Amino acid sequence: MESKNNMENVFSKLGDLKQFFVFGQKIVPVIQKIIDFMSDVVPLLENVNNSIQDSTSKIPKASTQINSVTSANEIATSEILDIIDAMFLDLSTIRTGLEELKNEENSEKIKVLNEVVSKIENDSSRITISLQVQDITAQQLASVNHLIDSVQNKLSSLLFELGKQQDRPIPTFDPASVSEQDSDYAFSDGTFNENARYDRSTEKQDLVDTLVLENTKTSQEEIDKLFAK
Amino acid sequence: MKRVILVADDSPTIRKFVSVALTVKGYDIISCSDGMEALEKLPTNKIDLLITDLNMPNVDGFELINIVRNNSDLKELPIIVLSSLGSNDDIQRGLECGANSYLIKPFDPKRVLYEVSKYLN
Repeated sequence: MESKNNMENVFSKLGDLKQFFVFGQKIVPVIQKIIDFMSDVVPLLENVNNSIQDSTSKIPKASTQINSVTSANEIATSEILDIIDAMFLDLSTIRTGLEELKNEENSEKIKVLNEVVSKIENDSSRITISLQVQDITAQQLASVNHLIDSVQNKLSSLLFELGKQQDRPIPTFDPASVSEQDSDYAFSDGTFNENARYDRSTEKQDLVDTLVLENTKTSQEEIDKLFAK
Repeated sequence: MKRVILVADDSPTIRKFVSVALTVKGYDIISCSDGMEALEKLPTNKIDLLITDLNMPNVDGFELINIVRNNSDLKELPIIVLSSLGSNDDIQRGLECGANSYLIKPFDPKRVLYEVSKYLN
C-alpha cells in the first residue's frame, strides 16, 4: 500500500516536471527575445550616455559664445554711442556758431540751418532709442544662458550617477574657460528680465503714466484730507 | 553750478545712453553698476537726482529706493526708475517704494530729459 502511494507521488512529481518542461519550451523563445532586446538596447544606451557626455562638454562653449555675442554687441553699441555723443557736441557748437553769425540779412538762411541741426539731433535721438535693442537682447541672451546652465547642471548630475556606475570621468565646467572680458559683459545671475521686449510703441509707457498720475492724485487726496482735519 | 545725477544700472550701455542724453544738456553724471555702489556714492557726492534700474545685483532698485526714502538726508531726492519691468505689479511696487517717475526701456532720451528737468529746473 505504501509503495503504491510512493509510486503515485513519483508520477505526480513526473507530471509536474513534464509541465515545467512544456512551460520551459514556451518561455525559452520569450527569454531569447528579451536577451536579443537587451543586446540591442545596451549599445543604444551607451550611445545615449556618450551623447549626454558630449553635449555636457559642449554646453559651456555655447554659454561662452553667447557671452561673446553680448560682449561684441556691447562694444559696438558703445562705440556708436561715443560717435553720437561727439555729434551732439558738434551740433551744439554749430548751433552756437549760427547764433553768432545771425544778422538781418541771413536770418532766414540761419533759420533753415537751425532746422537742419534740429533734424540731425532728432535723428540721433532716434538712433539711440534703436540702439537700446542691445540692452534688451543682452537680457534675453542672459536668460538663455541661465537656462543652459540649468540644463548643464541636470546633465552633470545625471552623468555623475552614470559615472558612478561605470567609473567614467565626468566633464565639468571650468569657469576659467570664459575669458575675463566675456564674464565682465555678462549680466549677473538673476538680474536680467527674461520678459524684456524691444517694444517701440508708447502703449506701456502710457499705462505707466496713468498709474503715476493715479498715484500722484491719491497722494494729493491724502494730503488734502490731512489738512482738512 | 552743474546739477549732479547719479545713474545706477548694471548695463554699461544704458549708463552710457543716459550719460549721452544728459551731459549734452549740461548735467554732471556719476555712474554705478548696482544699488550697493549707489548707496556708497550718494552720501559722498552732492547728488541732485537719482536714475535707477530695478533689476540689479547686490542691492536692487526697489531696495535702493526704500533705503533712500528712509534716510533723513536723502528722502527728498527725486528718483526716476528706468526699467524693462513693465508689469502693473512692478510699476506699482516701484511707485509705492517712492519713485517719482517710472520710464520703460527702451526709453526716449527726450523723455528722460523732460523728467529730469521737471525735478531739477
